[in-house]
Amino acid sequence: MTYPLTEAQSAIAQHAHEFADGYLEPIVADLDRGVVFPKALVAQLGSDNFLGLVLPAQSPIAGAGFVGHIELVEALSQSSAGVASIVNSHALFAYALAHWGSEAQKTKYLPALAKGEKLGAVAIMESGPGPGLGPNPLLATRQAGGYRLDGVKTFVRNAGAADVYLVFATIQFADDGNGLTGFIVEAGSKGLTVGPRLETMGLRACPVAHLEFSNVVVAEDDVMGTENCGGVIATQLLSVGSVAEAAQTVGIARAAVKHAAGYAGHRVQFRHPIARLQAVQTLLADIVTDSHMAWLGVQHAARLIEEEAPFEPEAAMVKSFVGRFGSKMLIDAVQIEGGMGISEVAPKHISGSYPLARMFRDIAGTTLLDAPADFTDALIAANVA
Amino acid sequence: MNAISPAQRDIQKAAKDFVAKNIIPRAAEFDKSGAFHSYLLDAARPSNIFAMAVPQEYGGLGFSPLTQALVLEEWGYGCAAMGTTLSASILSMESVLIAGNDEQKRRFFKPMLTAGIGAFALTEPDAGSDAGAGVATAVKSGGDYVLNGPKCWITNGGEASVFVIFAATDPAKGVKGISAFIVERGQQGLIMGDREEKLGLRSSNTVYFFLKDARIPAKNLLGKEGEGMKIAMMTLDLARPSIGALAVGLAQRCLDECVKHLNQRFPEKTYPGQTLQFKLADMQIAIEGAREAQHHTMALREAGLPFSKESAIAKTLCTDVAMSIASQAMRLMGSHAYAGEFGKFMRDAKVMQIYEGTNQIQRLVIARSVLARPKVAVSAAQKAGAK
Repeated sequence: MTYPLTEAQSAIAQHAHEFADGYLEPIVADLDRGVVFPKALVAQLGSDNFLGLVLPAQSPIAGAGFVGHIELVEALSQSSAGVASIVNSHALFAYALAHWGSEAQKTKYLPALAKGEKLGAVAIMESGPGPGLGPNPLLATRQAGGYRLDGVKTFVRNAGAADVYLVFATIQFADDGNGLTGFIVEAGSKGLTVGPRLETMGLRACPVAHLEFSNVVVAEDDVMGTENCGGVIATQLLSVGSVAEAAQTVGIARAAVKHAAGYAGHRVQFRHPIARLQAVQTLLADIVTDSHMAWLGVQHAARLIEEEAPFEPEAAMVKSFVGRFGSKMLIDAVQIEGGMGISEVAPKHISGSYPLARMFRDIAGTTLLDAPADFTDALIAANVA
Repeated sequence: MNAISPAQRDIQKAAKDFVAKNIIPRAAEFDKSGAFHSYLLDAARPSNIFAMAVPQEYGGLGFSPLTQALVLEEWGYGCAAMGTTLSASILSMESVLIAGNDEQKRRFFKPMLTAGIGAFALTEPDAGSDAGAGVATAVKSGGDYVLNGPKCWITNGGEASVFVIFAATDPAKGVKGISAFIVERGQQGLIMGDREEKLGLRSSNTVYFFLKDARIPAKNLLGKEGEGMKIAMMTLDLARPSIGALAVGLAQRCLDECVKHLNQRFPEKTYPGQTLQFKLADMQIAIEGAREAQHHTMALREAGLPFSKESAIAKTLCTDVAMSIASQAMRLMGSHAYAGEFGKFMRDAKVMQIYEGTNQIQRLVIARSVLARPKVAVSAAQKAGAK
């Protein structure tokens, strides 16, 4: 089986690579500093029709879909995986809205999301083992006309930059049961505070912070889907998100191995370029092999997602694979470049750019589990045979 | 298991306390700025720990290699960058212990008695793994040698009181023409570059410097002319397991932090299932194995037995384990680790796979030893196949 791209998907991929080269490459170091959110860049992504790819019906590009989105994410990640994180978080919101949103919600948000006039974000995590289980869970309490939200969502990507959030809150019922429910909450809602920006190891173009809710009022119409179906939505979003994150892993690894191979072709030790040493060839071969396997997994899962076929086991396998091999690819790529590989700033006596230290920091953020350790394994094992 | 004596246990305990009080609380701050942690030298001065490798007859603590490793593991547990300052200083001392005369030893070790540090300068821009490809030269001129050439990736370079610097006295002889010199801080013609901004071990000072007509008195020659590369290789054999000790400490810290976080996030009632239990068990197995390999190397050294291969194994195994454990722990801890101080451990481990001889160079050493070992009769067919 091969994974051919349609004409439209190829166009997206090509355009995305041009965007990465033209807009991202010159400013990757600034983006990595992560001090200012790249607002203009997001607007540019929107006007280039990159922000609505997961929304086939609304997308200005015919034939776009999740595969097109994956092409975009991989291309962006070859320059700045942090920018890809911004796009991924936004796209997950759009994906949720397209699948579970009411007609009114779609009308209200989708066109603006697709054009990049509004940026979306998704808030699932809490400090406990799962939503509603730890200290400071986000709780939703019914009141006249809607709900009141109180509590904390942790490690929210695009926090502070997003215009609208999909947050998952727990409703506690009198009979001791509880249910997770998704709510659309606009940035700037009264009682919603974005915590200080967290210092992430990498992917620093994308801001991460906790969201604190104190008596935030949401209307009945802001429920996504129905009450208590939040668990299903959140699980699916995590699954879709893990495939998109794996596309980031692949993009970073491909750019890294290309750079490392270039370095090995020029770095002379023992009288020859080190690319002639088998030890270096083996490292390069391992990275190329592992990133190719990850790519195959991503392509397969992305097509299942686009076809609306069952995809969770395949997504879990992708997550498991990049979990085992993702960081290792950059561990090895940095090793090839030695002292240059660990340079955050190219030493004064050396010419050229040395992006591998940043990529090493970035790739670790694309393979985080953020779930109990058996989360993916149990799902995969349950689907054997 | 190498039994640890009660005296060693006391030293280990003292190191643990020092690390808890002086290293762990400030590691993140210096990692962030990348500035040299000079406060540490002041804090360590009363204990004389920077002289732990200096023999007692020269005023040092004269710790055995295993005792030094126990201390370094604790320092690696606290902060591998700070531990590197100590281990790299000991690295420079080993050259003097190997080849120095009494006067040289007295002079070189004196700063260490007041928490001064040393630096070992072998690497050059075009001589990394290929250590013999350096271009630095030392030309005899009257009672001096005049040194010229670049040195890079020199740990402690910008902060050291004393240096061991390698330069060719007879470039025509290749590695057999390299000699080792003691150079003191403030030496005219020793021109310091800026510190490098590194991915990890950030507050461990790393510099580029160059020598421009630096006149070094002939009495600073270590050993004889042409013995430099031999001294360098023996020094690295001695010093590499120290990196292993730091790495074991770092790996144990990663696992401990991981368990601490998981206990917090997934408390008692959700006691971890076998998937997580086995992952944690595998991590501890790897760390314990690395620790034993490291201690074994020290035991061989203390017994006066050959330990070159074991030294390379200890460095490679321990730093590879540290990298792998840091990476696994990061994944298990998720965003909490990625958006917190844990990233330092992963970044620090990466540098350790590279410095003091990349793990690829170690593997060459180990493979040479593995392939040299069995001298069993080889059949004619096998011989033909080997060609």
